[in-house]
Amino acid sequence: MTVSQISVFAESKPGHLGRVLSLFDQAGVSVRGYSASDTGEYGILRFVVDKPEAAYAALREAGCACVVSPVLCLKLEDKPGELLRVMGVLAECGINVVYSYSMISTYIVLSTTDPEQARQLLADQPVETISQEDITRYVAERPDWKEA
Amino acid sequence: MACAEESFAVTQKGAALRAAQEGRFDELPIFDRAIECASREEIEALQLEKLKKQVAYTYERVPWYRQKMDEMGVAPEDIQTLADVRKLPFTDKTVLRDTFPFGLFAVPLSDVRELHSSSGTTGKPVVVGYTPDDMDVWSDCIARLVQMAGVVPGDVAQMAFGYGMFTGGFGLHYGLQKLGCAMIPAGSGNTERHIQMIEDYGTTVLVATPSYAMHICEVGEQMGYDWASSPLRVGLFGGEPCPPGLKAEIERRMHITCTDNYGLTEVMGPGVSGECLAERFQQHIAEDHFLWEVVDPETGEPVGEGEMGELVLTPLDKQAIPVLRYRTHDLTCVHTEPCACGRTHARMDKVRSRSDDMLIIRGTNVFPSQIEDVLSGIEEVTPHYHIVVDTKNGMDVFTVETELRPEAFSDSFESMNAIKENIAEKLKSTLLVAPTVRLVEPGGIERAVGKAKHVDDRRKK
Repeated sequence: MTVSQISVFAESKPGHLGRVLSLFDQAGVSVRGYSASDTGEYGILRFVVDKPEAAYAALREAGCACVVSPVLCLKLEDKPGELLRVMGVLAECGINVVYSYSMISTYIVLSTTDPEQARQLLADQPVETISQEDITRYVAERPDWKEA
Repeated sequence: MACAEESFAVTQKGAALRAAQEGRFDELPIFDRAIECASREEIEALQLEKLKKQVAYTYERVPWYRQKMDEMGVAPEDIQTLADVRKLPFTDKTVLRDTFPFGLFAVPLSDVRELHSSSGTTGKPVVVGYTPDDMDVWSDCIARLVQMAGVVPGDVAQMAFGYGMFTGGFGLHYGLQKLGCAMIPAGSGNTERHIQMIEDYGTTVLVATPSYAMHICEVGEQMGYDWASSPLRVGLFGGEPCPPGLKAEIERRMHITCTDNYGLTEVMGPGVSGECLAERFQQHIAEDHFLWEVVDPETGEPVGEGEMGELVLTPLDKQAIPVLRYRTHDLTCVHTEPCACGRTHARMDKVRSRSDDMLIIRGTNVFPSQIEDVLSGIEEVTPHYHIVVDTKNGMDVFTVETELRPEAFSDSFESMNAIKENIAEKLKSTLLVAPTVRLVEPGGIERAVGKAKHVDDRRKK
């Protein structure tokens, strides 16, 4: 049981990820997980969506370079040590993980050329930025995780 | 030797090209064997005789040249060898513009039978005239090159160039008539009518720009016209550069043999050189009418034998408007060894670049057309490209951006890098300078409406 991942070739320039997302939007496609990695000049955008065929058709129609490939989606419990445990299971099976990313999360991580400037620019915008302290506190405040 | 002019064996569709491919050149017609197959000694002796006369004629009749030669301290008697042509002044397009309209004319307008002009994208057009003798030479040169392409007397030739001031329309018209063809002066436009005429009148030869020929081909296909059984046999192309890929596609889809020819309004119009069926990337220069030189575009000095440089042309018998050492700005390489087709006139490589396009990167000459050639051989990218040249720490840095084809994308950085490295490697071995290659998204290179702008040179001049 695999999931169809859509990979898109994109230049590392402002607006290029947005262009792909608006194509999905117009096609009524919802993104359930994604990753964007780059080499400095171009990147590969990877998406898990609700309607892979519609997403692929919309991208091809727009002339994008994209492919569909099978990937595995695993459900982890939200508790410390779980990621380590699951990677151990994969290693036991002799499965090499080429890349991995998390999905169905509304917390997203961005790497930008100037993090401090990006933070300042986003400060006045209707979007919440999370600090390292927020993450530390969130884990510390879950009493049910203490014994794990 | 078999004489094709009488046998007409090549009038079957595809027969001329087949004969050439099989090396049966004695079956192919040559318009003026005595001149076109003369020995180099004969050609050069004729050129020298004509050059001496032409320089004296020009000096005597055109004040601009007389003044220029006097300033340079050179007299017509100083021309004793062909190499002495280098003592003469160059002529650039600006001279023709500055003397607009008739400043360089050597005869009164009453001796002129026809005027033509080049459109000229900037400023005034260039106006040229032809005396009856000039028109005779002109139609002779065209008759030779259409016969090189496999046209024979009795062919029915349809003109899809516009007539007007452009030299292409009338030039080909006169030359085809001189050979003995029936001309259909349809002119450009009304594509359906062109196809109808080909069918109704049994047209065997089409004169067109390659892009219009492609259009006629496509419209015919849409109309359900069967090109394979059409009487059309030969395509004569001109008016714009003809990319080899386009020509091959037209040949395949229209089932015709296509050649293209080269010429400039300033020295005559079409007829300067034309492609034979033996060397399809080269064109024979009408050496009895044109003295060619290949010079370094920067210094004006001759380049070595077989090296690429700017083509400089001196028409040897033009009466109405004689021009000495015309700088074409077209880059080519000229070969003088005899051709398999039997002709001895020198062959120039088809012009792919102009000296104005040349980039000097880390001391090496780089032409955008070389990059185009490399990229067209790489299936993972489209032929669209953009070059950026800049300076970094006093060194030239040069980046070639090219579009990834959607089919070539795979979900792996490794294979994307392999594509990039392969392109960089191939460019380096052709250009002798290493570029940085950037892959961009399909459609990421701006499409130009008119002339594509391929180069962004950001270096401080």
